[in-house]
Amino acid sequence: MAEIRKDYLYHLVLKGERADGRRFDEYRDIVLETGLIRKADGSALVKLGKTQVMVGVKIQPGEPFSDTPNKGVIITNAELVPLASPSFEPGPPNEVGIELARVVDRGVRESGAIDLEALCITTGEKVWIIFIDVHILDDCGNLMDASSLGAIAALMTAKVPAAQYGLGEDYPLPVKDVPVATTAVEFGDAIIFDPDTDEESVADTKLTVITTADGSICGMQKSGPGSISQDAIHRIVDIACERAKEIREKFLEV
Amino acid sequence: MDRMDRNVVVPGDLLSDDPKTAGEGTYVKDGKVFSLLYGMASSYKDKVRVIPLAGKYVPLPGDTVVGVVQDIVFSNWIININSPYEGLLHISELPRKIEMNEMSKYLRIGSTAMIRVKDVDSTMKVELTMNDRRLGILTRGRVAEISPTRVPRLIGKGGSMINMLKKELNCNIFVGQNGRIWVDGQDDDMDLALRTILIIEKEAHTTGLTDRIMDFLRVEKEARS
Amino acid sequence: MIGMDEKLSFFKDGVRLDGRRSDELRPIKIEVGVLARADGSCYMEMGDNRVIAAVYGPREVHPRHLQEVTRAIVRYRYNMASFSVEERKRPGPDRRSNEVSKVSREALEPVVLTSYFPKSVVDIFVEVLQADAGTRTAGINAASVALADAGIPMKSLISSCAAGKVDGEIVLDPMKIEDNLGEADVPIAMTPGGDITLLQMDGRLTKDELKRAVDLAKAGCRQIYEIQRKVLVDRYSHMEPEICDEAVAMAGEEI
Repeated sequence: MAEIRKDYLYHLVLKGERADGRRFDEYRDIVLETGLIRKADGSALVKLGKTQVMVGVKIQPGEPFSDTPNKGVIITNAELVPLASPSFEPGPPNEVGIELARVVDRGVRESGAIDLEALCITTGEKVWIIFIDVHILDDCGNLMDASSLGAIAALMTAKVPAAQYGLGEDYPLPVKDVPVATTAVEFGDAIIFDPDTDEESVADTKLTVITTADGSICGMQKSGPGSISQDAIHRIVDIACERAKEIREKFLEV
Repeated sequence: MDRMDRNVVVPGDLLSDDPKTAGEGTYVKDGKVFSLLYGMASSYKDKVRVIPLAGKYVPLPGDTVVGVVQDIVFSNWIININSPYEGLLHISELPRKIEMNEMSKYLRIGSTAMIRVKDVDSTMKVELTMNDRRLGILTRGRVAEISPTRVPRLIGKGGSMINMLKKELNCNIFVGQNGRIWVDGQDDDMDLALRTILIIEKEAHTTGLTDRIMDFLRVEKEARS
Repeated sequence: MIGMDEKLSFFKDGVRLDGRRSDELRPIKIEVGVLARADGSCYMEMGDNRVIAAVYGPREVHPRHLQEVTRAIVRYRYNMASFSVEERKRPGPDRRSNEVSKVSREALEPVVLTSYFPKSVVDIFVEVLQADAGTRTAGINAASVALADAGIPMKSLISSCAAGKVDGEIVLDPMKIEDNLGEADVPIAMTPGGDITLLQMDGRLTKDELKRAVDLAKAGCRQIYEIQRKVLVDRYSHMEPEICDEAVAMAGEEI
């Protein structure tokens, strides 16, 4: 990035401002649409400002892992397809894509949103496998929050396609918790939520906090080459809980 | 021919039956003139041409552009000029002589500069120069990026738009032909200048734009004071 | 399942299972400029197909050894999202998507003026979000609009659709069931002037049926072309140019 642009962003932060006029803890507009992909068992398109992410959920019977013979399986994958950004290259997921998928997965798994035991069909033989596929369409920053929101929204509207496999009637996938990820970057002394691509590229440190409906924390990820103080972590967590609550109430209340 | 004037056209649209009228953004096939671009067709001096609505900057000798240093290799700075082609600024193209080991003191990676395109050869090797008093390194101010296809509109007939902006906003504004605009002035003025530039980009092809921009600035400045 | 019944007829009361006549396209929706990061983009629905195309470029070629000294290269990557089909697809390219990418690129290359941008690349990326027979044709239609949106010089747009044969009858734009269980499928792409830039065929047809299929697909392409063109024109129809010829020369003059 040009130094002149970096200087400007720092200059703004010192004044307590952001390039697009948002407050430090303010999210861009969120638009959530579910059920657009009929071929998926659940789907959600998330628009977070200009960032766009499509998440598709597929549910298919398959074999359980041998160490958890009575539990269903969640497999999360993220594709940073080159359509979404000039910096994404074709090819198998790189470490950024894998990290993204794993953090999305962590939120769903650790919050206990999906009761894996309820997804057992025949112990040791057949369970439901839930594929969560995150497809990035337009990377204008903060893919983590957009993808996580898309994943839980797609799961909450997913149907288990039992009839198709002769396993009874279709039924809604039971979702027991609603994890929401919120991400902030730190640069200068400021903590900035829902960073856009410029803000992501000037900041050295990013922290994602995933919280559950009861306000506890079920996953975190610090990323970026910089460091962060413990004080900053707690400040981020405090605000993260508030923002997550708002997002949950606005978009994910059943 | 008038039929096509002021029309949005897509590639392949028939523009004229007279091949002599083929202008920029068109091609001739079987004695007829067709559009090569998605853009606005217009007649100009017996020619029909198409002004593109989008597209990348392709450097031409004599263009002045705003570039960002991307790398330093031997005695050249590699400059991003917002184009499919990078530019080369040779150490000898500065207004004063410097040594090779001083290069990054003068212009380092991430530095922004106002540069002129000196030469472009058939393999699209782009040579740049800063050897002119009106060119130089930009350390202050802000840079906006617009589609290079909107640059003529930002400048306006005979410079009417850009001169109005400079006057109304007390800003120094430099429009690079590559769509990068450098603005320098008071914070508030720069903010308003950049917002205005983005409006001009968005509404580039609407009539009465200069008047609307005047009104916009008047309202904004009143709100500020 | 419906397709498994051998006595299944693809026609009922003279119309197809989804109510179309044999010469009718599925409903089409096209949106242009849907992505912020891409230089040009287009979203297209063709029946139940949902595809999105992005164009980046002309831009620098990486890796460099792919550069062509006298022209731009064109790359086309057709990719299906894992959730776009009935059974989850493994992510990433396979033999089918590689072939589709190649023929789709070659469907567009004849109209792209690559000589304008030597040593650069025009990248076209097509993501299939939902597949229902005809994704390659939908992808080409969307890519063609995205190329125009990116300001790439082209001799014309390209339009694409397929004809098929079901129950001995030639039909336009086969949907999934017709494609899976029909007797033949002929996807084509063409210029508005009628030059064919993509032709594939699988199944069995007589020479006469082939002619009818191509004629029908061409008629479909002409209808699609009108929609592509209208979407592009309507996007700026409220605009009128104020031409600033002197201004061009003035750019960069003053500080």
